Amino acid sequence: MKTRRIAALCMCAVMTASLAACGGSGDKGASEGGKDKGGKLSVMIWDNYQEPGLKEIIADFTEETGIEAELQVVQWNEYWTLLEAGAQGGEMPDVFWMHSNESQRYMSNEILLDLTDKASDSELVDMSKYPEEIKELYTYDGKVYGIPKDIDTIALWYNKTMFDEAGVDYPDETWTWDTVVENAKKLTKEDGSQYGIAIRNDNNQEAYYNIVYDMGGEIISDDKKTSGYDDPNTIKAMQYIEKLIQDGSMPSMETMSENNPDILLKSGKSAMSFHGSWMVSTFKQEDYIKENCDCAVMPMDADSGRRVSIYNGLGWAAAANGDNTENAWKLIEYLGSEKAQQKQAELGITMSAWDGTSDTWAGCAPEFNLQAYLDMRDDMVVRPYSRNTVTWENRASEIFKDVYSGNMSMEDACKQIAEEMNATLSEE
Amino acid sequence: MAKPKKKVTSQERNEFIWGWIFIIPTMLGLIILNIIPIFQTIYKSFFKTGDFGRGNIFVGMENYQKMFADTQVWQALLNTLKYALMEVPFSIIISLVLAVLLNRKMRGRSVYRTIMFLPMVAAPAAVAMVWRWLFNSDFGLLNHVLGTKINWISSPDIAIYSIAVIGIWSIIGYNMVLFLSGLQEIPGDYYEAASIDGATGLKQFWHITCPLLSPTIFFVLITRIIGALQVFDLIFMVMDKSNPALMKTQSLVYLFYEYSFRQKDQGYGSAIVVLLLTVIMIVTVFQMIGQKKWVHYN
Repeated sequence: MKTRRIAALCMCAVMTASLAACGGSGDKGASEGGKDKGGKLSVMIWDNYQEPGLKEIIADFTEETGIEAELQVVQWNEYWTLLEAGAQGGEMPDVFWMHSNESQRYMSNEILLDLTDKASDSELVDMSKYPEEIKELYTYDGKVYGIPKDIDTIALWYNKTMFDEAGVDYPDETWTWDTVVENAKKLTKEDGSQYGIAIRNDNNQEAYYNIVYDMGGEIISDDKKTSGYDDPNTIKAMQYIEKLIQDGSMPSMETMSENNPDILLKSGKSAMSFHGSWMVSTFKQEDYIKENCDCAVMPMDADSGRRVSIYNGLGWAAAANGDNTENAWKLIEYLGSEKAQQKQAELGITMSAWDGTSDTWAGCAPEFNLQAYLDMRDDMVVRPYSRNTVTWENRASEIFKDVYSGNMSMEDACKQIAEEMNATLSEE
Repeated sequence: MAKPKKKVTSQERNEFIWGWIFIIPTMLGLIILNIIPIFQTIYKSFFKTGDFGRGNIFVGMENYQKMFADTQVWQALLNTLKYALMEVPFSIIISLVLAVLLNRKMRGRSVYRTIMFLPMVAAPAAVAMVWRWLFNSDFGLLNHVLGTKINWISSPDIAIYSIAVIGIWSIIGYNMVLFLSGLQEIPGDYYEAASIDGATGLKQFWHITCPLLSPTIFFVLITRIIGALQVFDLIFMVMDKSNPALMKTQSLVYLFYEYSFRQKDQGYGSAIVVLLLTVIMIVTVFQMIGQKKWVHYN
């Protein structure tokens, strides 16, 4: 009896332990992804849709240099968990994507390979050809840690069939945000079968950041020390979202949380939504979207006439402690070269970072007016970031939920976000 | 205890050595993967962790102070308990009934057993994805068949119960197999004697099956409660970040993941997990005490 009880107690201890273990052992299991497989370079990305195209480019690289590389796709959420675990446990992929949300932490801790000298000595890479702000995302203390891969802009997608049916003219460069609010209402059906527009509480880069900068507001100050959410212009811009919610022009937050705006667009539930250029590779495989939808430039602000697209760009980076840093650099150098950047656009993978190589990208899906994305490059603001971007961005999305559910006014929400964000920023 | 010391024979020594050799792999696994990390987690909960595990700053009880004032944590604890209170009793009752039914001689018995066990074989992530689509309020099968428009997984009032349904469905088969093996250990004589004395099937169930099965029930109960309090993957897969019901469904482990891996505050994440560890230990201690009243070892 006694031994049985002791045995049972031990067992319970072990069961509880297995939970605590997942905290510590995560980095052991996770590092597998970054393992060097017999001299092959390991490359990690998070976007399935870019995989086939990038494989082709990497095959060209292997043909030219004889260096083999293996591409692995890990979904966004797990990507950062894996990379972080790899950075702690010592086993990272040789070459991988970097994003502005995370780059500051990785660079300041010297997790990434310093590419400064390599880039300036290189014949293939010319740092002056990339957009200044994208380069800045991957530069820390004057050292270069990443070579820009692409740039992305935002455009307005709309359902032509629904516009025809409601007798509304298609969006064009004359549209202002007031036009959007007005027409979203017209495109909404009373019975809930169709909504004018879908913007989720966390569609920041793809939606509300753009309005904010159009109207002269800001999300974060230039010195990254204070929040811009309590700026009157920011609040004014965010109130357009509030208007759309109150008008009933948007599906409920419940619906949007279960079905993203892109799903609502391709299932004929919403007439408009905003999507980044990275979504084009998905959309061009959807029959419904090809038949019924198209894209246009973003609306502008009626007073300032400003038509901003938030833009961002990924960077190719390498692990500082990799076994293969020489070859890793060769791959990054190749991927950043004019030739590969040109091909990236031609294959329709994404717009490229290298100046002047993106124009061919618009041809990758002739059924859409992709020129809109290229035109949006005329007035771009880089996606707001700081060291702990994720922390304050998540908080903002969380607080906006209360506005969507009608429990809080947009003005109060913005002020609360500003307060919390300032606290987060002061700790950075 | 005062037995005279006998000389150890070579056979005894041999058994001793082999005994250790057999358990060492398991012990090593436990120590490296479970026991050491427990202490590391507790240790970490007193630190404000720096990026990539570097530059940790000792902050004493600060994480705990923050945690005790954090309504999110208490809500998560409540969600976790709600989930466990749903999942554990229902999964045990249903699987016990199924086990008793499937323990009789009948045609196609092993087919039924296999079918009931199948959810256990499917990957939890896949199970969650399928259920997520079944529950989808706009395009889901469930609303389609019922002709309703219920937000199964995005309404704060019911989402946790929907999640518990998935949990119950996925665990029934496993519990059932354990009960089946327990049932097969009960000698048939008892039932024969009982029927001669005129006991009905239901009486037999209450007075023979239940007491004799109580050690198995106790085992399942204790492991399931621990398992249910650690629920994570279902919530993680089913609930989107922008889901308005997230606050009312996230479990302690979900919160631990959120802080440790998304917001990179591993110290605070560790403190949350230590809270869970404490809760589980308390619950388990009470169960160990309570078992005296109803568990019959013969």
